Amino acid sequence: MRGLLLAFALLVSLWNLNVAQARSLDDITESGYIVIAVYSDYLPFSAKVDGQPTGIDIDIAKQIARQLGVTLRLKWLTADETTEDDLRNAIWKGHFLDKSKADLMLRVPYDKEYSQKRDDVGLLVHELVHMFAPYHTETWKIVHNKTRLPDVPTMALFQYHPIGVEIDSIPQFYLMSAFRGSMAKNTRQFDTLALAVDGLVKAEVDAVMGLRSQISALHHQLDPSDYLLAENAFPLLGKQKWDIGMAVHNDFRALGYAVEDVVTAMINDGSLQAIFNQHHVIFELPAYYSE
Amino acid sequence: MLNNGKAKILSLSVLVSLALAGTASAQVTDKDIVNDHLTNNDIVSNGMGLHGQRYSTLETINTDTVEDIRPVWAFSLGGEKQRGQESQPMVKDGVMYITGSYSRVFAIDARSGEELWQYDARLPDGIMPCCDVINRGVALYGDLVIFGTLDAKLVALNKDTGKVVWKKTVEDYKAGYSISAAPIIVKGKVITGVAGGEFGVVGKVRAYDATNGKLVWERPTVEGHMGYIVKDGKKEENGISGGAPGKTWPADLWKSGGAAPWLGGTYDADTDLLFFGTGNPAPWNSHLRPGDNYFSSSRLAIDPDTGKIVWHFQTTPHDGWDYDGVNEVVSFDYQDQGKTIKAAATADRNGFFYVLNRENGDFIRGFPFVDKITWAKGLDAKGRPIFEDSNRPGNPASSSDGKKGNSVVTAPSFLGGKNWMPMAYSQDTGLFYVPSNEWEMEIWNEPTAYKKGAAYLGAGFTITAMNDDYIGVLRAIDPKTGETVWRHNNYAPLWGGVLATAGNLVFTGNPEGYLLGFNAKTGEEVFKFNTGSGIVGSPVTWEMDGEQYLSVLSGWGGAVPLWGGDVAKRVKDLNQGGSVWTFKLPKKYAQFAKN
Repeated sequence: MRGLLLAFALLVSLWNLNVAQARSLDDITESGYIVIAVYSDYLPFSAKVDGQPTGIDIDIAKQIARQLGVTLRLKWLTADETTEDDLRNAIWKGHFLDKSKADLMLRVPYDKEYSQKRDDVGLLVHELVHMFAPYHTETWKIVHNKTRLPDVPTMALFQYHPIGVEIDSIPQFYLMSAFRGSMAKNTRQFDTLALAVDGLVKAEVDAVMGLRSQISALHHQLDPSDYLLAENAFPLLGKQKWDIGMAVHNDFRALGYAVEDVVTAMINDGSLQAIFNQHHVIFELPAYYSE
Repeated sequence: MLNNGKAKILSLSVLVSLALAGTASAQVTDKDIVNDHLTNNDIVSNGMGLHGQRYSTLETINTDTVEDIRPVWAFSLGGEKQRGQESQPMVKDGVMYITGSYSRVFAIDARSGEELWQYDARLPDGIMPCCDVINRGVALYGDLVIFGTLDAKLVALNKDTGKVVWKKTVEDYKAGYSISAAPIIVKGKVITGVAGGEFGVVGKVRAYDATNGKLVWERPTVEGHMGYIVKDGKKEENGISGGAPGKTWPADLWKSGGAAPWLGGTYDADTDLLFFGTGNPAPWNSHLRPGDNYFSSSRLAIDPDTGKIVWHFQTTPHDGWDYDGVNEVVSFDYQDQGKTIKAAATADRNGFFYVLNRENGDFIRGFPFVDKITWAKGLDAKGRPIFEDSNRPGNPASSSDGKKGNSVVTAPSFLGGKNWMPMAYSQDTGLFYVPSNEWEMEIWNEPTAYKKGAAYLGAGFTITAMNDDYIGVLRAIDPKTGETVWRHNNYAPLWGGVLATAGNLVFTGNPEGYLLGFNAKTGEEVFKFNTGSGIVGSPVTWEMDGEQYLSVLSGWGGAVPLWGGDVAKRVKDLNQGGSVWTFKLPKKYAQFAKN
């Protein structure tokens, strides 16, 4: 019976923890910690390597906590089907299996069309979320083997050379359908981009197309005398570039402003660029800062 | 407090021993399961018989007496975890076994409604189950209660204690797999499919030794993947599904393929075949995968001993509408010009009802069972749909300017003319009782979509009702003619299973919370009881101590509340719950029946 009571008490306390709210800047400062949501198993952005949180987003999160004068608590996110789901799970509702929320989420698109999106009855899809502080510009990139495919001037090469892509990604869609499907037969799908790069090393494919940050980080692990990053364009590809920013609950914009100041300072003093360099990822400053 | 606790434990153990006493065999045997449809004193298979007819020969509760049935007990599943109760109860030796949402199992005294034990599966942190957190019930074998979990494991519990006897990982939940269906037991093997909505999943049907959870065979449901059989403890190759890869798929898309058999299967002892339905192909954009994409959106007949595919019938080749054709195959016989036809029926997500020859999968006939089908003009002589090309969702590649692509309006919606909820077949009326829905969908591609901070090609959709006053329709359908003999419209979409009895009754539940009884011949509503939360489970009936009992789970949830638009508006005020309701007639009727 005592065991049961103890278990019950434990459950109650867990439950309290589980309904933790996204909080205001004042509450964060007072409590002495901030909860920042990052994706799990997502190098070079955020992952646990040998139990240690590692990656670009982890370093940025640490810097934000430090500048706000609080300790950092990470909320590891398992990606749901879309970013909309992730925002719901991390920021405004919590996932139905784990009701905890974060104060701030990283790696959220900074895209006016996206943040202003309306649903089928005309209401704002993201009315509960404030998206801000773009800190990076993403695009696609190809890495190729220098011997088997010395140069990639245009995509036309992939009518003749096998290329690896991550399953269900835009590169897969692009290679399977663009130019009347002429590259489809040479397109090989892999469960992850890291596996695709393994396929490149094992000569199953001559090139791999994927997210530039991931491709540049994976390229760094290869022998630079054998593998190159291509400079080709991606004609007919809908979205060529997009910005990555952060999100807070719409009720806590003041927190957003404080974090925005931290990010702007990191851009100005070069520490953001340094974090990307340290992880061997190509950094591109969002157009927002040059406007 | 302490004393109370002790007293409770004591009374529980008394109950357990009472439940065990006076039963010749407490073990569930293969024979019990194969004969489940012939015996009224237990329910030991999903579908109330492996062929899935959901028909009982009990008739004490009938069109004359049903107005007098009353609740004898109700049982709460408790906890914060109330999210769609789709379980079909099983009953053996006075004990009812059910599952609840979030991978829970309960054993309940079927006479009193008191809990005997409860098992809560410990789910891993960060799990993201693809397909909500519902569960559709247990399988019983020997002294085991076997069920599938959200993290894609099979767990066998001791039926008296609820303690784990064996546990087997069927697939890796991290790769997007889950189990929500009730497993079935055929010839000592527990047979299960897997659920998985994400791209990259490959559907498989697997058989395990029910006594210890060891793999017996494994059959992929996508063309090109190798099947396996275990001989003398060694896993041996057992033929590639469909013979070779890439026959009906372009490039290497067969490597992912989808076609998850997430609803489980049925079995026919006559032909000794398992019947499993398979889900939609991946990726969703059908323009990327010209071809029939075997064996997605199909029905597969599988040899239960070897796992070989004996025949297949594809309801939606080259599926572009997410007509996830997992729907159950119900075996039944009928007379045609003096000949017995060994038939099987299935009512598909795509809006067509199919009657097949269950010995070889040949198409006998097919017809729409919903009011409106826009994606196909009809079926050809072999049962293949005649596509309406203009009603296929557009190719996102032709809108690569980053704008919203062309949208199409298609009926039925992807939630289906009929979804998971099982129909019933009455051996008395020769009719199928089909829970169906009238709704349509608008689909377009959405270039401004993101996944993990990467641009992504999304699809936007919205489901709308076609009629102001109803979405759900319970239909009585004659499989020989395609005629709808009667229909009952329901305001909210129907999402629960159906039961037919020799008492000329048909039972089902609705999201509004009512358990409903109909005259099987005329469709007249003869019974209505509000269970307090929406019904998305399947009612069952059995006999105990000479009396006929009727039970159903109540607890609103499942897929419907997850989707937006019109449909969400219709169901937004329905409250969640989690309980079992059990009914019977007053005892005097038992005496009448005997006289």
